[in-house]
Amino acid sequence: MPSLSTYTTPSGFLLPSIHSAAPFFTQQPFETAQSSATDLWTRLILTYARHRRLFVLRVEDTEKTGGDWDEVLRNERINRRMKAGHLEFVLGSMVTKGLAAYEPPDQTRSVLLYWRLPEEWAEVLHEWATNTGQLNTILTFYEITDPPIASELSGLPLPLLRNAIAILAKSGRAQTISIADGDGVRFFARTGR
Amino acid sequence: MGANQSIPKITSQDRAILDLKLQRDKVKQYQKQIQFILNREHEIAKEHLAAGRKDRALIALRRRKYQEGLLAKTDGQLENLEQLVSTIEFSLVEVSVLHGLKQGNDVLKAIHAEMNLESVEKLLEETAEAREYQREVGDMLANNLSLDEEDAVQTELAQLQQEAVRSPPHLHICLS
Repeated sequence: MPSLSTYTTPSGFLLPSIHSAAPFFTQQPFETAQSSATDLWTRLILTYARHRRLFVLRVEDTEKTGGDWDEVLRNERINRRMKAGHLEFVLGSMVTKGLAAYEPPDQTRSVLLYWRLPEEWAEVLHEWATNTGQLNTILTFYEITDPPIASELSGLPLPLLRNAIAILAKSGRAQTISIADGDGVRFFARTGR
Repeated sequence: MGANQSIPKITSQDRAILDLKLQRDKVKQYQKQIQFILNREHEIAKEHLAAGRKDRALIALRRRKYQEGLLAKTDGQLENLEQLVSTIEFSLVEVSVLHGLKQGNDVLKAIHAEMNLESVEKLLEETAEAREYQREVGDMLANNLSLDEEDAVQTELAQLQQEAVRSPPHLHICLS
């Protein structure tokens, strides 16, 4: 049996040594063994998602090659890949813990990953608006998520953006404006504390 | 409760700006789409050429040219939209500057109303009167000293002067 070691993927991500252990890729029959494996998978998925700025993970990502998730969901060096049912189980656990959300909501095969929680995204969003001098200005969602020059918010999925805006709106730091053609948002400076 | 009060109402002006910006985004997205088609036609032309179908490659390249023209046109439209957005936003800044100036002016007016010339004149007059009164009181007190007392004051002054001569102040500083 080859000794377990960490491995740096072509995208520059350092895989933990557990990723070279064959049993890690198999769903464990006993709850205790699986729960620690689930925690490890959860951490691995979230750190990798943060590394590559990936927002979506689908159960079908286990079955196709050439996708964004190959480096994590399969390990050619030990000829293992994660099974669909196993991933679905891990995703379910992540949703329960609030580290992901089913998107669209009424299915269990695709999730939005919260490598930043919506509350954290709300802060990032507000900070971005403040630092770029865009408080009190009406912004479209498109210009937030697809800026000409990449920002921290580039590619942020709309549900997550709406969620973050809703959180800011609760504390009076954002306001959404809707017209027939689409939505916009306006940010305000922090009001008192 | 308090936080809600600071949130401004959405005006029709706001809606108009949003509408404009959404149109701008649409043009940008349209440009992205055209760019995609341009790349695709290029690929198609290459494939046809590789397969020896020169005429088909030519058609693809013509289509590409046409799309390129469209892209150039939308660039102009985009510029117009962005200019309009900038102009509106600049006008909004101007409006707020005007508002600031107006408020400053009002404050200045209020201050001036409190500080009219008549009351300043009156105040100065009263101050002069008070000063005069003070001087008179001083004179009276000075004149009231008896000759003996005046002598004592003079002696004290002489004594102080002598002391000053005996020990010049800068020496003290050097010693200490």
